Amino acid sequence: MEYISLFVKSIFVDNMIFAYFLGMCSYLAVSKNVKTAAGLGVAVMFVLLCTLPINYLLNKYVLAPDALIKGVDLSFLSFIIFIAVIAAFTQIVEMVVEKFAPSLYGSLGIYLPLIAVNCAILGGSLFMQQKDFSNIGEAATYALGSGVGWFLAIVALAAIREKLAYSKVPAPLKGTGIAFITVGLMAIAFMTFMGITI
Amino acid sequence: MNTNGNVYTIVYTTIIVVVVAAVLALAAQGLKSRQDANIKAETISQMLTAAQFATKDELSKMSNDAVLDIYADKISQAFTVNAKGEKVADLSTERANLELMDALKGQNSAMKKGGDLTLPVYIFDKEGTPVTVVPVYGAGLWGPVWGYVALDKDLKTVVGAYFDHESETPGLGAKITDDPAFRAQFVGKKVDFAGEAPLSIVKGGAQGESQIDAITGATMTSKGLSAAIVTWLKAYIPYLQKVAPEGGMDCCKEGESCEGMDEGCGMDCCKDNNETTN
Amino acid sequence: MDSKIKETILNPIFKGNPITVLVLGICSSLAVTVELKGALVMALSVTIVTALSCLVLSLLRNTIPMRVRIIVQLVVVAMLVILVDQILKAYAYGIDKQLSVYIGLIITNCIVMGRIEAFALGNKPWPSFLDGLFNGLGYGAILVIVAFFRELLGSGTLFGLRVIPQSFYDAGYMNNGLVILPPMALILIGCIIWVQRGIQKDLQEK
Repeated sequence: MEYISLFVKSIFVDNMIFAYFLGMCSYLAVSKNVKTAAGLGVAVMFVLLCTLPINYLLNKYVLAPDALIKGVDLSFLSFIIFIAVIAAFTQIVEMVVEKFAPSLYGSLGIYLPLIAVNCAILGGSLFMQQKDFSNIGEAATYALGSGVGWFLAIVALAAIREKLAYSKVPAPLKGTGIAFITVGLMAIAFMTFMGITI
Repeated sequence: MNTNGNVYTIVYTTIIVVVVAAVLALAAQGLKSRQDANIKAETISQMLTAAQFATKDELSKMSNDAVLDIYADKISQAFTVNAKGEKVADLSTERANLELMDALKGQNSAMKKGGDLTLPVYIFDKEGTPVTVVPVYGAGLWGPVWGYVALDKDLKTVVGAYFDHESETPGLGAKITDDPAFRAQFVGKKVDFAGEAPLSIVKGGAQGESQIDAITGATMTSKGLSAAIVTWLKAYIPYLQKVAPEGGMDCCKEGESCEGMDEGCGMDCCKDNNETTN
Repeated sequence: MDSKIKETILNPIFKGNPITVLVLGICSSLAVTVELKGALVMALSVTIVTALSCLVLSLLRNTIPMRVRIIVQLVVVAMLVILVDQILKAYAYGIDKQLSVYIGLIITNCIVMGRIEAFALGNKPWPSFLDGLFNGLGYGAILVIVAFFRELLGSGTLFGLRVIPQSFYDAGYMNNGLVILPPMALILIGCIIWVQRGIQKDLQEK
C-alpha cells in the first residue's frame, strides 16, 4: 500500500516536470513528435530506474558518515559520484540506442548525451538522499514513479505540439515559442495536484 | 595514437578518476579546519541572532574569533537531553574548546524512526534572564532547512528565531532566511505544549498565538519548515515542561488587573490566572 | 579580428542564444529568475564555469576516448565547480553561502555540457574559451530580462529596492502573485522568443 501511494505521488503530486521543473531542456527540445518523445521518455525512465537504486546503495553503504570506515565522512564526494554513475549509464544507453535504433539516435541528436545533465535524474538522486528511504524497494518505486511522470509529461506535450501544427500560431511563436507557453499553461493546470497527500 | 582501444580507455578513465578523487580529497582535507571554523562561527551567529543579541548582518561582518568571544561571554549552560527530557551530558562552553551539537540530521531521522535522542539545549544569559535556544531541522523543497528558536525564561514565549537552508529557491523559499519580516513574526509567539502543533506555519491567515503566516509562493518550503519546527519542538516538550516555571508566566489580556503577574510580562497585562495553566 | 572569432562572439548573444534558440539551461532559468540579484549571481557563475570547462576540455579533446567522453566531461566540470566551492567555503564563507544554492544547478546546467559537446570537443582552446564565455553571457542576458519583469511585477521591487511607489498600492494596485511562480517564467520566455523571432525573421520555424 505504501509503495502504491509513493508511486502515485511521485507521478502526479511530485511530477518532475510540472512540480519541480526539472529536465526542461530536453523536454522542450525533443517534444516535436510523439514517437521521438516516447523514445527519450523511455531512455530517461530507464536511466532513472537504474541509477537511483545504485546511488541509494552507494549513499547508504559508502558515502554516509561512518558507513565505510568509522569516523570517515565521504559525503563531499556524493555529488561527483552520483554524476559519474549517471554519466556511465547515459553512455551505455547512447551506445545501445546507436546500435539498435539508429533512426531514433539521429533524431535525438545532442539531447541523448544531455540525459546525463538532465536535472530530473540528478534531482532524483538528490531527493532520494534527502527523503531517507528505508529500503531499496522504496527508492526503486520512487525512481519508477518519477520516470513514468516524466514520460507521461513529454508524451502529453508532444501530442499537443503535433496538433498545434494545424493551428494558426503567429509566425514568430511557431515551434519553440508556443511550446514554452503551452508548458507554462500545463504547469498551472498541474498545480491542482500541489500539496495533496495520498 | 588510437584513443578508442580498450586498454587506452580503461587506463585513461582510471587516471582521470584517480586525479579527480585525489584533488578533491586533498582540497577537502587541507581546507577542512578553516571550513569547520567558518561553519562553527556561522552556527553560533545563527543562535545569537535567534536570541536577539545582534542582527545577522552585524555578526556576519565580525571575524570568527569575535563571534566566538560573544558566545563564550553570553552562554551560561549547554547540554544535551534525551526524549524524556532528562539531561544526558554537558557540552563544553569554554572559549578554547567550545562544543556544539551539529549532527542534527542524524537526530532528525532518529526522531522519525523512534531511536535514542540526544538533543542539544543552549542557555544564554541575557542581562540576567535565561534565554533557551533549541535547534530545528527538516526537509525543505530542494534540500535541508534548519534553524534555531530562542525561548524566554517561561520556556513558552518565543524571543526570536533564525532559519537557514541549503538550496531553497532564491526570492521564494530562501526568504525564510532573507526576509526579516518573516522571522519577526515569531517574536512573542507562544509554544503550545499541549497542542498537536506546538508552533506552526500556516497558509493564509495565521490565527492564535502559535501560528505564523507562510511565505507567498513558497508553499513547499513553508510546509517543510513548519514540519521541522513541529517535530523538533515536540521532541523538546518533555524537557521544556519539566523545567518551565511553576504556573508558567501567564500574561493576561489588556485592561485586567495586573496583580500577581510574572515580572517577565509587559505592562499591558493582567492578573494571574493559575486555573488555565495548572 | 578574423570573421570566425567575431562570429563565435556575436552568435551566442542573439542569433544562437542558448536559451531562446538552442533551448539549453531552462531549468535554472526558471529557478533563479524570481529576483534580479540571484539571476546576476547565477549568470556570472555559469559564464565563468562554461568558459573554463570549455577551455580545459578543449585542451584534453584529442586524448579523450569517445566511449567514455560523457563521464570524462562531467567529472571534469563537477570537479571544477566543487573545487571552487570548497575554496570559497574556506576563504570567503559569506560568498559561498550565497553561491551554494547554485552549485547543483551549475553542474547540471545543460549549457556547460551542451557547449562542450557541440563546440569545445572539435575546436582549439582559444575559440572554445570564447564560445563558452559568450554563451554564458547570452544565457545571462535572458536571465536578467526575465528576472527584471518577474521581480518588478511579482514583488514591485528591483534588486530588493521598492520601485513601485506606495501611492500605486493605495490606489488599488496589487503585486501579481502568479508571476513569481515558475510557470509564468516559461510564458515570459515564450514572449521573449516571440519578440526575438519577430525581429530576426530567419529564426522562425515553419
